[in-house]
Amino acid sequence: MASVEVSNVAKRFGSVQVIHGIDVTIDEGSFVVLLGPSGCGKSTLLRMIAGLEEITNGEIAIGGRVVNNVSPKDRDIAMVFQNYALYPHMKVFDNMAFSLKLAKVDKKTIEQKVRRAAEILNLGEYLDRYPRQLSGGQRQRVAMGRAIVRDPQVFLFDEPLSNLDAKLRVQMRTEIRELHQRLKSTSVYVTHDQIEAMTMADKIVVMRDGRIEQAGAPLDVYDHPNNLFVAGFIGSPAMNLIPGTVGSQGSPSVLANGGINLPLPAGTGAREGTKVIYGVRPDHLELANGSGGLPADVVVVEPTGSETLVLCKLGESEIQVSFKERHAFKPGQRIALTPMRDKIHLFDAGSGQRLK
Amino acid sequence: MATQMRLGFAQLRRLPLVLFVVLYSVVSGGPFLWVATMSLRTTAEIFKNPYGVPSPVHWEKFADAWTKSNYSTYFWNSATVVVVAVALVTVIGSMAAHCLARYRFRGNRFVRFLILSGLVLPPQLLILALFQILLDLDLYNTLTGLVIVYVATHIAMTVYILEGFFAQIPQDLFDAARMDGYSDFEIFWRVTMPIGAPAIFTTVTLNFIILWNEFLFAVVLLTDDAKRTLPLGIMHFTGSHQLDVGMVATGLMIAILPIILIYAFFSEAMIKGMTAGAVR
Repeated sequence: MASVEVSNVAKRFGSVQVIHGIDVTIDEGSFVVLLGPSGCGKSTLLRMIAGLEEITNGEIAIGGRVVNNVSPKDRDIAMVFQNYALYPHMKVFDNMAFSLKLAKVDKKTIEQKVRRAAEILNLGEYLDRYPRQLSGGQRQRVAMGRAIVRDPQVFLFDEPLSNLDAKLRVQMRTEIRELHQRLKSTSVYVTHDQIEAMTMADKIVVMRDGRIEQAGAPLDVYDHPNNLFVAGFIGSPAMNLIPGTVGSQGSPSVLANGGINLPLPAGTGAREGTKVIYGVRPDHLELANGSGGLPADVVVVEPTGSETLVLCKLGESEIQVSFKERHAFKPGQRIALTPMRDKIHLFDAGSGQRLK
Repeated sequence: MATQMRLGFAQLRRLPLVLFVVLYSVVSGGPFLWVATMSLRTTAEIFKNPYGVPSPVHWEKFADAWTKSNYSTYFWNSATVVVVAVALVTVIGSMAAHCLARYRFRGNRFVRFLILSGLVLPPQLLILALFQILLDLDLYNTLTGLVIVYVATHIAMTVYILEGFFAQIPQDLFDAARMDGYSDFEIFWRVTMPIGAPAIFTTVTLNFIILWNEFLFAVVLLTDDAKRTLPLGIMHFTGSHQLDVGMVATGLMIAILPIILIYAFFSEAMIKGMTAGAVR
């Protein structure tokens, strides 16, 4: 296994700059997820690590060796693609053995490696089939098997679960994570699905417009988003973001449109009169005990079984609340909500940066 | 009762379609069958009753056409020219299509325009220039010259069909091949070619059929009787034996046989290649 060091890497397609001098360190044996919306440059960054895209500027090192000018096959990496990239004219065994044959590995070793990978991935009985005879999940496993047999220093995954249905995606997510725990391989995984990122990663790198917005452990990023973009992108349902102005009516608070006074914890440090965005996650709002609380009008109730999602009108803002308990609210009903004070996020309305 | 009526109505609605198919079959298959019957009858029998059934059946006419006329020479000339030209046009055309579909390079669009513009040029327009060029290159009245002309004039259609198909092969496959260690040529040869086989079969079949029947270039660029291809041979035969319709029909049947065989073997692949991408 090896670490990957991305230093000041930039990429330009003609006159369009798609990656703006990125720095990331991927520790040996870690599972790092590059996360962001379509067009943020995450796949381009992965392809540059793979050697499939040239680097306009900067340096990429794998295991301490700078690989800027090293061809993909000599980087000692393996990649799993979104479309599986299985050769349709070859059987599963040949697909998995293919890179080893090219590397002129002897037949016996190839056989051993392919059988071992097939065993790890429960593909033993499919080795004689063509890719078209397999289901989506099985094809994705073959794609992973093809990577495993190479015994690479680094695994690269380019949205490998995007073509699978929702149920299979959850299953494969667990399988990939389990595989990583067994092989302890350095892995870089690209996705736009924040749930995938949260559940699989040791470290998440959130990207937007070719820049890194935040990098860190999944729960750190969830609990302490650096800016409005990360706050809105991570978490499902998304964080409620309510614009307002810092005021002080006895205790520190944010005055939102519609005369709503949102409480702030003591020692926030935001100056009175500052325009801010008040952030609170749907599961960090609870029903107020007794009198008081924020008055909210129920708009839509969505019971999922495990929780009850309620869309409410709070002042002029629409917010979402997630209750663990089951409530039979009616549309139009007024309820009183209390935000958990230690879970409140405050962002500068101008720069979007975190204030607290 | 109601079900029966519905069934009757459904059949009635299908009637025009059935009539059209029957009519189409008669119009397209009729002349073929007529020539087939004539190929087994003597010219005298044909003149007596043009639409008669072969009786007796003159199978020996095929042997006569092959041995006594120059058909065997014409046939092998055609076979040589067409097989070589189709092989060359397939290899060169698929290489060009692969590059145009896969690589971003300066002038990509211009090169594509240049190649595909060949599709709109009528062959009559090229004849004089080709005649002069082949004369200058000492290739006039040679099978090699005809092969070169066939390759040049059929590259456009071949690239047109293949590029569309190759462009649909997912980029991930090519990236995977690069990571596996294939060179650019190996990617073309071992990934594009096998996966693009249905489209390649399509172009092989189409080019074979078109070139096997090609007359215009052959009649202008070949003069020796020993170098004539089948379509020329048949016409030549008509000229020297003006009224031997029976032998012309036999010659036509010999000429059409390879096309029927090619179509029988490759028609399924050809349809696959032509409809690729139409449905997922």
